[in-house]
Amino acid sequence: MTSIQLLLSLLGLALCCGAAASDRIRVVATTSDLRSLVEEVGKEQVEAINLAPPTRDVEAYEPRPQDAQKLRDAKLVVRIGLDYDLWFNRLLVDASPDLRRGGRGYVDASIGVPLLEIRAVSFDATPGHSHGAGNPHYWLDPANAEVITGGIMEGLIRVDPDRARTYESNRNAFLARLKPKIEEWRRKLERYAGAPVIACHNSWPYLARRFRLNIIDSIEPKPGIAPSPSHLAGLIRKMQEQRVAIIIKQPFEPGQTPKMLAERAGARVVSLAPSVGSVPGIDDYLALIEYDVSLLATAFEARRGGKP
Amino acid sequence: MSDAVQFLTVAFLVAIVLTGIHAYLGIHVLSRNVVFVDLALAQISALGATVAFMLGHLPQSAAAYGYALAFTLAGAVLLSLSRHWSGRITQEAVIGVIYVVSAAAAFLLIDKAPQGAEHVKQLLVGSILTATIDDLIRLAALYAVIAAFHWLFRKRFLLLTLDPARAQAQGLNVSGWDFLFYASFGVVVTSSVAIAGVLLVFSFLIIPAAIGMIYSDRIARKLYIGWAAGVLASAAGLGASYAWDLPTGATMVCAFGVMLALAGLARPLVTARGEERRRAMRRARHLLINGILISSALSGAWLALNPRADQPLLDALEAVQPAIRDYFLSPIERDIYASAANVESKIRGESSRIGQLERESRWQGSELTDDEVRRLASYVQSFQEMQKGEQFVQREIRNRARERQRWAIGVPLLLISLGLLLVTLK
Repeated sequence: MTSIQLLLSLLGLALCCGAAASDRIRVVATTSDLRSLVEEVGKEQVEAINLAPPTRDVEAYEPRPQDAQKLRDAKLVVRIGLDYDLWFNRLLVDASPDLRRGGRGYVDASIGVPLLEIRAVSFDATPGHSHGAGNPHYWLDPANAEVITGGIMEGLIRVDPDRARTYESNRNAFLARLKPKIEEWRRKLERYAGAPVIACHNSWPYLARRFRLNIIDSIEPKPGIAPSPSHLAGLIRKMQEQRVAIIIKQPFEPGQTPKMLAERAGARVVSLAPSVGSVPGIDDYLALIEYDVSLLATAFEARRGGKP
Repeated sequence: MSDAVQFLTVAFLVAIVLTGIHAYLGIHVLSRNVVFVDLALAQISALGATVAFMLGHLPQSAAAYGYALAFTLAGAVLLSLSRHWSGRITQEAVIGVIYVVSAAAAFLLIDKAPQGAEHVKQLLVGSILTATIDDLIRLAALYAVIAAFHWLFRKRFLLLTLDPARAQAQGLNVSGWDFLFYASFGVVVTSSVAIAGVLLVFSFLIIPAAIGMIYSDRIARKLYIGWAAGVLASAAGLGASYAWDLPTGATMVCAFGVMLALAGLARPLVTARGEERRRAMRRARHLLINGILISSALSGAWLALNPRADQPLLDALEAVQPAIRDYFLSPIERDIYASAANVESKIRGESSRIGQLERESRWQGSELTDDEVRRLASYVQSFQEMQKGEQFVQREIRNRARERQRWAIGVPLLLISLGLLLVTLK
């Protein structure tokens, strides 16, 4: 008797939970940054997750069996595009047609973003004319969040038209917080406009454009291929000539070469956060940019203070 | 320049130290037929460091080294026992299993690590260019101790490697000495790999020893030859990597490979005497001529069969001597080809100029608006499309020439090469 009661109550519990969960729109984003922006637009109406963990190289992520399961329950997918999350294509092959390219629930967040470093060749086989690809790190320019959240909002409205007003006002509230922040960040770094910087990889052109950083070269022009001795010697010479103060890297990038260069040329290595959650304590998109800007400001300031 | 010389010098000294100990260990490894043992031991030690990391120890802390060492010793125990297990399966198979399982286990552990797992990855992807003088001194001291240990007990280590049956008959504790061998070997490989990376350490271990063994049966002479070859290949690799702006580790590995190929090819000429030597020379000449004839016959046949496909031999010849292609084109076609090439290079210049403009505007002068950036991006895209168009024109013209070369070059080349082959093979 008691066991049947227990079973019934469990069933009731499952039903009521199911109802609560189905009420919220399930969104699968490829990266934590997109997840954070989806949460800004959807607030409590959405339940967003990201597939690739932010602590490692997203481009090298290998999908897990459970990722396909996560897609099965999703109403909307949001991706970076531009060949950055190519692995996502494999998952979409088995997903519902709504979630595939051109479907109602598919958002390529790069659409409409002013892209830098365009190249015509893309590895992503799109039907018809290839639109090429640019540098994919566009979320690191906070001004691009306006375009990205625009795409996300349109996607949410397509799959959940009843709450269009809510999504619009959520996005407007986010932009109202973002815009004064951008001005504040730019003021914080404007003194250092044009200061020369070296990067490990070419991951920061959008950040550089917004905050007027002069990234003069990268340590590994082609990611994963070790730099040659002449390239390293050239870097050291450039760093000494132009008095380069900092080398920026992502936390997961190997540190030996930046460390050697910094020691030889009197610079310091700054490990910037490329994504929400890549460093503990960075829980949302605004905190991400805040963290990077203040780290850069501190590093430039230390150099200025250090000079006689 | 002086910076490059400085870190190339340190890298070269590190390479000499590595050659010194690895050429010796390589002779053991090759004689024991356990070529991949270094990969297995390096991987198992990295697994130890990963475990330490997961337990909350900082990379490069004493605890991390302790774990790595403990795992290496455990690996040495497994390897020394594997000699007895390998009745039906070879020891190499056991080594391979140790390698893949410890690599996969480390991978699974890293997958669960929150942050900083890249330090563990660095254990296996050292880069010889970033080695410092401190690294060099530490390495030299450690290897000197291990080399002294092996020198002291050289008779036992060599007997065990070269004639294990006799070692057993003499009452030597085979498993115990095997353990000491693998343990010291593991310590060496683990520190080498952290400095120079897996690929390069494998080359240091196998290639100088192999060259020594090609040329001599005596242990001392094998060593001298191996050392000389290793130092020479390292110098060539470092020099090439500087001169041609190439990644250092990969260039050195290829230099070692070329060295082995040259040593193998030259062996009959160096070791043979008199009549035997003349015969070897004749065989080499035959091989070379037949090789050239066979490849030209194949090229001719391929050109005749499919003139529009890639033709490696003709491409190479035309790159050196464009007249070969121009001869088969009408004056108008030649003009079209030249202007397409010209326009293509102009477009390339223009789109890189736009890129440069955009890059500079990020930090100096007035900022570009988003719409200006979009417009530049669409220019670049159109330019790249135009560039593809010009490339298409050039390829099309080249293909027309190829269709004419099909009968004028392809078929005669095939027939002449086959005819000459018949003559030489007789």
